[in-house]
Amino acid sequence: MLRPPPSSDGIVQAARRPLKIFASDPLAGRTFGNRVRIDVVNEPLQEGPVGSRLEVIDYDGAQKCFYRPVNLDHPAVLLQGGLDPTEADPRFHQQMVYAVAMKTLENFDRALGRVIRLGSSSRRQSSAYPRLRLFPHAFYGANAFYQPALNAVLFGYFRADAADVGPNLPGQTVFTCLSHDVIAHEMTHAIVDRLRPMFLEPSNVDVLAFHEGFSDIVALFQHFSFQDILREQIQRTRLDIRSPTPLVQLARQFGYATGSGKALRSALDEPGTSLSDSTIEPHQRGSILVAAVFDGFFKTYQRRIADLVRIATGGTGTLPQGDLHPDLVNRIATEASRTAQRVLDMCIRAFDYLPPVDVTFGDFLRAMITADFELIPQDESDCRGAMIEAFRLRGIYPAGVGSLAEESLLWENVESRLPPLNSDATSLVGRAFIQAMHAFDATWQPATFEPDASPTEFQYAEAGEDYEVDVNRELAMELHAYAAANAQALGLSTKFKIQVRGFHPVFRVAPNGRLQIELVAQFAQIDRHRSALLGGIPFRGGCTLVASSNGRCRYLVSKPMLDASDPRHRSMAEARLARQEDYLQMCDLANAMTPYYTAADAELRMRELMNFANLHRG
Amino acid sequence: MATTKNAKATAKKVAAKKTTARKTPAGASGRRKMFVRMYDVGFGDAFLVRISRRNGELRILFDCGSIQASAAGGAMGNVVRKIIADVTDADGVARIDVIVATHRHKDHVSGFADDAWNAVEVKEVWMPWTEHPTDPQARRIRNLQSNLALALSAGLAAAPAAVDAAAQRAHSVAADLVANALMLSNDGAMKMLHSGFSGLPERRFLPSKADDGRALVTAALPGVRIHVLGPSRDPELIRDMDPPKGESFLRVRGAGLGGHGAAPAPFVPEFMLTQSVGAWTFSPDDQAAIEGAGGLSELAVAVALDKAVNGTSLMLILEVAGTLLLFPGDAQWGTWMAALEDPHWRELLQRVSFYKIGHHGSHNATPQTFVRDLLPRGCCAMASTLTRKIWPNIPRQELLTGLIAKAADVARSDQPSAATARAFKVAPGVIEATVLL
Repeated sequence: MLRPPPSSDGIVQAARRPLKIFASDPLAGRTFGNRVRIDVVNEPLQEGPVGSRLEVIDYDGAQKCFYRPVNLDHPAVLLQGGLDPTEADPRFHQQMVYAVAMKTLENFDRALGRVIRLGSSSRRQSSAYPRLRLFPHAFYGANAFYQPALNAVLFGYFRADAADVGPNLPGQTVFTCLSHDVIAHEMTHAIVDRLRPMFLEPSNVDVLAFHEGFSDIVALFQHFSFQDILREQIQRTRLDIRSPTPLVQLARQFGYATGSGKALRSALDEPGTSLSDSTIEPHQRGSILVAAVFDGFFKTYQRRIADLVRIATGGTGTLPQGDLHPDLVNRIATEASRTAQRVLDMCIRAFDYLPPVDVTFGDFLRAMITADFELIPQDESDCRGAMIEAFRLRGIYPAGVGSLAEESLLWENVESRLPPLNSDATSLVGRAFIQAMHAFDATWQPATFEPDASPTEFQYAEAGEDYEVDVNRELAMELHAYAAANAQALGLSTKFKIQVRGFHPVFRVAPNGRLQIELVAQFAQIDRHRSALLGGIPFRGGCTLVASSNGRCRYLVSKPMLDASDPRHRSMAEARLARQEDYLQMCDLANAMTPYYTAADAELRMRELMNFANLHRG
Repeated sequence: MATTKNAKATAKKVAAKKTTARKTPAGASGRRKMFVRMYDVGFGDAFLVRISRRNGELRILFDCGSIQASAAGGAMGNVVRKIIADVTDADGVARIDVIVATHRHKDHVSGFADDAWNAVEVKEVWMPWTEHPTDPQARRIRNLQSNLALALSAGLAAAPAAVDAAAQRAHSVAADLVANALMLSNDGAMKMLHSGFSGLPERRFLPSKADDGRALVTAALPGVRIHVLGPSRDPELIRDMDPPKGESFLRVRGAGLGGHGAAPAPFVPEFMLTQSVGAWTFSPDDQAAIEGAGGLSELAVAVALDKAVNGTSLMLILEVAGTLLLFPGDAQWGTWMAALEDPHWRELLQRVSFYKIGHHGSHNATPQTFVRDLLPRGCCAMASTLTRKIWPNIPRQELLTGLIAKAADVARSDQPSAATARAFKVAPGVIEATVLL
């Protein structure tokens, strides 16, 4: 966000650091424009590179050796704006992984209006890690995955399948860490896991698919922010960016090299695919979410360039033969990249309006619409309308809404039904602001690389609970009192302990310059009685409460518990349980291991699904 | 059936019919009947369907194989002799109209390795389209599955002895699954199916591209319509038949067929270091975790291979005069979902009178929605199964109780004494169900 402190001779440090990466997978491009220089936030780096939130460790588990780490602060590297892209030097791979990971993180920081912490404190299954670790060449395999227990992202490398190779050479070594899309996808998994750790528990058919689909969305739209590539592609494809170019096909190299013949997850292959009950495989289901968001983006983009096309064609709508005018291409590239950034921000901002557990695609749509509406009430390009329509065409319908009009898709407004967040609101909010300031302001950060001086201030693990909470202990107690007092209205049960899962102040700037400040609190409860019946996953409930800066509650996103007092909440809870049981049955049917489980294994079979390594295996 | 009624009816029938070379089913009571005879092969399948006709009977044999014989049924050789005796006509010639091999798992085809089959006259042999000798897609799938089975088998044999009980169990389950899948094209059983038997049978690989979803009729089975519900040729569903590729070869202790031994070094040695030099948070535990990161366990690969071969199962509905018999082989998720989603097939599934319980009664070969919502009441269901120690969940109790809750007559080959419904006739090593047309 801000600059690092001035160097020892008083020279002001740059705010951004340029680094070169492969824009698409190296195989797609001996074409001009595949090498791109991106800017990431400048921070003091050690060899590795090791920054304040990310750490690139180049250990190869198959060869059992380390590779030479890169020093991105070396003068030679700085002069060139980063090492030149090459597949042969592992130091470039480390640079690329760091650059794309930082870029993804920056998108989230900016859209969410706060600094996301990637360290994890010591828990039952793992020790404390101050930073998220990235292993560019962790293992031999056609896979890359985020490993929560290690707080690390592991990238594999492999030899291209000799028989069915696509554009790769037979026997060529393919590195998953050289694909921008794969890095962005895996980083998103890691970040989503920070924001909503319970989205790893497959309590309904959409949960794992959401993880996959959302990660693909971030990778895809982040790709669109590279204007140089866009410009070249637009020139080549003459305005229809929907043609299957490397820009749109995710991780094309990955797909070809594993012999499946096409990109592993391609959002736009089947124009007519809509959500069906029998699509339960997370990638397939997630790709429908991606397709819906892309359709919404494309519609908005078409609307935005409509006037440019009119001007360029003089109203006829047919473009002249041959190359497009470079000015026109520039304008269109700008529009496309701005629309992509808007959609990406809208998707990420939605996170603060998502429930803490049991997410569905419909919830995501409502969260997107509500978040965007709050920030930009008057939407000139009707981005929200396009998104709603796109979701409808893909068969994604939110539950419990009266219609698909924007007003009915907003989350329920609870201003009249809930008292303000805390009677001592000003002090609560004041404390929260001071904590947020610490994170934003560079001068507050310690000069050395030690992890946060008091990590327990923000994160600690409750006894008996596997997931960390993201809230200061003091604030947690006050919020707990509030939740306990209003359990009925929040849809929580009085029988189970209420856990305060998170509390953040959020700062956002609207396009018209208006500053928006919100407070977001998350509460969760857990019912372990049915865990054995549900394959090892408990029945969880909770809610996200969004309040304005003066403590007045605005929106409630509730996942009620079974013994909530309000009958409407109770029936919602029963529907949730039925959905969880249905999903369990579908998984049993689809899982090849089912007949071979022992009774003990069978009780934990749903927990087996919570494994990104298996999820990502082609 | 009451014996007096039997005797009267038989007398009538015998007087009216002229004798033929073929054996006719006894005890005809005016209504035509179909018999489904389940042979006790232990853990495996061997079902003989006999459809009575005016001048003889039509015979269809669904599978003949086992991976573990039962005490009551005896060795595979005995069962084969029994089957051949049951299909031998008065003139001493054994005849079967159609032999169906649902998929190439040992527990479905091992019995065909017996030379005695060469004397049996067969009109047609049906196999899934993945068995087609020259179709390139079929070849690809077959090769993938066979290669993986061989690689896994070698890998498991070479693996060091497991230490703890869980690992030992995983190893034995994996070994078992792989042994079941080691049915290569040069195996005696496959050779018999593709080129054996007498009478120069026609081989059909279903569904054929020309069929296009319509019912199949053939001169070998007059009056019978065959609906082929699977395996699909749809590329999306075919993915189920693809076992994990690539890295699974290499993980299997470097014993792959392709000569992929140890992982090749990706960079020149100048870049390689033995010690950590960076300010990295990296402990020896992490190191061990990373080294174990890539690749599936042998069990996971074996299960995936099992699923892939099961996915090639031929799933048929025989329709005789409006009565439907469902033989799904070992079809699992992909094939079942496609069947349940197609409105025409869904309608057929709602009228099934006989159901051969898929995959020996395992949980994921019979969707709950099928039993709960589609299966009509009072149908007949048979499972050829055996509870093996390493697979305690086959057959699945909940499935059997679910069927019984639908007032179905259920019979298990390993519990003949429990087959007390009127539709069943029990003899040593055989349970026969009668389905009225």
